[in-house]
Amino acid sequence: MTSADTTTEPTGRSFATLKRWGQRHGWTLGVWILLVVLVVWYSTLIPKFGGFQVTNIINGGTSWIFLAAAQAVVVIAGGIDLGVGGLLVLTSVTGARLMDGQPFGVILIIAIGIVLAAALINGIVGWVITASKVPDIVITLGSLYIYQGLALMILPKVGGGSSDTFRWLFTGSATGIGTNPWPAMVMIAIPMLIVSWWMGRTRSGLSLYALGSDSNAAFLSGVSAKRTKITAYAVGGALCAVAGFSSLAISGVGNATTEGGNLTLNSVAAIVLGGVALTGGIGSLVAVVPAALILFFFNPILSALGVNPNQAQVVQGVLIVIVMMVAGLIEWRRRRRS
Amino acid sequence: MENPAAPLLTTEGIAKSYGPVVALRSVDLTVEAGQVHALLGANGAGKSTLVKILSAVIGSDAGTVRISGEEVSFKGPSDATRQGISTVFQDPALIPDLSLEQNLTISGLERKDIDPWLERMKLSDLDFGLLVRDVPLATLRLVDLARALAHDPQLLMLDEITAALTPEQADLVFDVVREWKRMNRSVLFISHRLGEVLGICDVATILRNGAHVAHLDLDGVDETELVTAMLGEELASATPPSEESAANAERADTTDNDIVLEAVDLQFRGRVNGVSFELQRGEILGITALEGQGQDELFALLSGDHKPTSGDIVVDGEKMLAKSPYNAIRKGLVLVPGDRHDALLPQRSIRENLATPLYNRIGRWFTIRRDETKLVKNAIDRLDIDTRAASEVRRLSGGNQQKVTIGRWLVSDFEVLLCFDPTRGIDIQTKAQIYDLLRELAAEGAAVLLYSSELREIPLVCDRVLVMYDGRVVHEQEAATATEEVLLKAAHNLADTIT
Repeated sequence: MTSADTTTEPTGRSFATLKRWGQRHGWTLGVWILLVVLVVWYSTLIPKFGGFQVTNIINGGTSWIFLAAAQAVVVIAGGIDLGVGGLLVLTSVTGARLMDGQPFGVILIIAIGIVLAAALINGIVGWVITASKVPDIVITLGSLYIYQGLALMILPKVGGGSSDTFRWLFTGSATGIGTNPWPAMVMIAIPMLIVSWWMGRTRSGLSLYALGSDSNAAFLSGVSAKRTKITAYAVGGALCAVAGFSSLAISGVGNATTEGGNLTLNSVAAIVLGGVALTGGIGSLVAVVPAALILFFFNPILSALGVNPNQAQVVQGVLIVIVMMVAGLIEWRRRRRS
Repeated sequence: MENPAAPLLTTEGIAKSYGPVVALRSVDLTVEAGQVHALLGANGAGKSTLVKILSAVIGSDAGTVRISGEEVSFKGPSDATRQGISTVFQDPALIPDLSLEQNLTISGLERKDIDPWLERMKLSDLDFGLLVRDVPLATLRLVDLARALAHDPQLLMLDEITAALTPEQADLVFDVVREWKRMNRSVLFISHRLGEVLGICDVATILRNGAHVAHLDLDGVDETELVTAMLGEELASATPPSEESAANAERADTTDNDIVLEAVDLQFRGRVNGVSFELQRGEILGITALEGQGQDELFALLSGDHKPTSGDIVVDGEKMLAKSPYNAIRKGLVLVPGDRHDALLPQRSIRENLATPLYNRIGRWFTIRRDETKLVKNAIDRLDIDTRAASEVRRLSGGNQQKVTIGRWLVSDFEVLLCFDPTRGIDIQTKAQIYDLLRELAAEGAAVLLYSSELREIPLVCDRVLVMYDGRVVHEQEAATATEEVLLKAAHNLADTIT
């Protein structure tokens, strides 16, 4: 009897832990499963599915993922950054302008410089928000226009460039088109793991959740709202710069006329699909990564289905709404049961 | 620089105003090392404001704070903690969307820092992977206390820490406080429960209207004397003993069998397990219980917020099928919720808050009732609401906010007033006003269902009392004879031992 007791006790506990893990990470799991299902379905839609298609999707999705991650960091901290799309354009054209014709070593230094500059400039946006107490959405609407305008000033015409090694880093080939998905996957995985670890395990990273979840309790726990918000915007800015590099690496040239606003809206859709609460405090990059990839993936799937590009936009919008409604329904039922 | 002879904490002339409302006029407070110091006073006297200033949640307008003789100024709550003052606030300062573990990380602590204290509070088995939002309030209070202690403060401030605790948990807290005192550390203890204060505190500073009015050595002082000091001479006559007789005298004649609300074997997901009772017009039916015995769910059922798993709610002989509180309110079942923030529109005026129920009764030509102004004014007068900060309800003191919450239903009409712990965290004077109001309403023929966590309140206000335990009614009796001892035993499901 005693031995039975001692054996059932830990099993009961681990089952409870498992159940709790399922409840807490159910959304994350669901998004990954949805991604896998979509990939499998897509592979049956097109005549040939192989390394080329996989590489295309991952390469194209990279900038979406980084932009969504940038948005997630800010939204989890209780803000929202409409400027992310503009910053992507700005960093990508700045890169195109400065990197053109340089050896890889110099390009690397330029890249690091641009990441730091993006962190600084977006950190200043965060500072303006905390100092002025004007809502995030207003200030960052301003920063979106400013970034887009600066991009046009830096590179009025499509042009500039990077180097073959730089393009290989983000696309697996010197031309931006190829069958090697691994460099892009590594370029996604490493920063995402670092940022996830920072957000979930360190004091400054957890402060983002604290501020977004309950700013008063955060204040009483010794979290500085000002410092935390500035940090969130700075980290977001750095991630935007990486998104900008990815888009530069794929196209090979800088294009300041890319609509930053559209990119921003994609990032917001991606984080919502990724389970980040727009009210702050809830969410994780582990779910945002597949969510961003799914959104990017809608395009090739719809074209494989033969949907006309104009109708595709409507279908895409409807799909996003349906996915969110289904997810909301699942969440609501779970709450009702508990 | 530190002067060993100087007291641990001294404040001089601390003052704070919120616009036209003066919260603190001038407070001098001296806490010696190794002292458990009570801070007493009616709500609105300025206790919470003083605690917030000492913990650097807000700044003061004037005055100095000294620690061991040295003048200090804090940049924020974490700075106050670094300089030796830790606080357990009324609302636990824990982040709801993070796990307990992550909350520790945020405060720069690890499990091993708080484990010894958790063990003292019988929480060694607590799963720190749980999200804070899934942990009961009482447990969070204790975790918050352990966290405050782990910072090893010279001065520990406890703001109404026992409010949601069971008597056993409260005893554990008192043990910790005594231990802390033995270590020659100090505690500033704020509580409305005077029995506790006399039990563990050495001295008391009493605040009234934002200024200190007395420093008392608590040796040999009894509760009546404390209450006298808190209320001031002129109001001392309105304290519980005389009030009790007044309430008894006013008690309405409830012999006519006029049942307005009947609960028939109510069940709700294992939280309410078959509750039945009848409530008559003109009656105040008390309900009391320890925390979490199904009383919250019972009130949610009656107010139409939840649907019962089985059982019926019968109002005026008609079964109520409420989909939402809207239906219950239409039936005349109105709720004063336990958390007044659930009911108030904090940024709107007193007038708008009071008139909210009227907005549901659109009259001819889509106008609201023309007597709104009159009804609102009547409610303000009847409840004696302090209208100095009338433009925004959030700027009122807690007691006045509570009056507004009750006042809303005076403006509209109702059959049954469901009051969930309406006097929790409220000063004695406002409490007395609320008791009087409930008695008056009953005398006018209204029915009141009153949950109270304060056992002493029951015989003062109620006609009859039900005691709940584990979702059931385990005890029922006339309220006039319900002593604290009897109710406490019943609340622990020891009704058989009551002789």
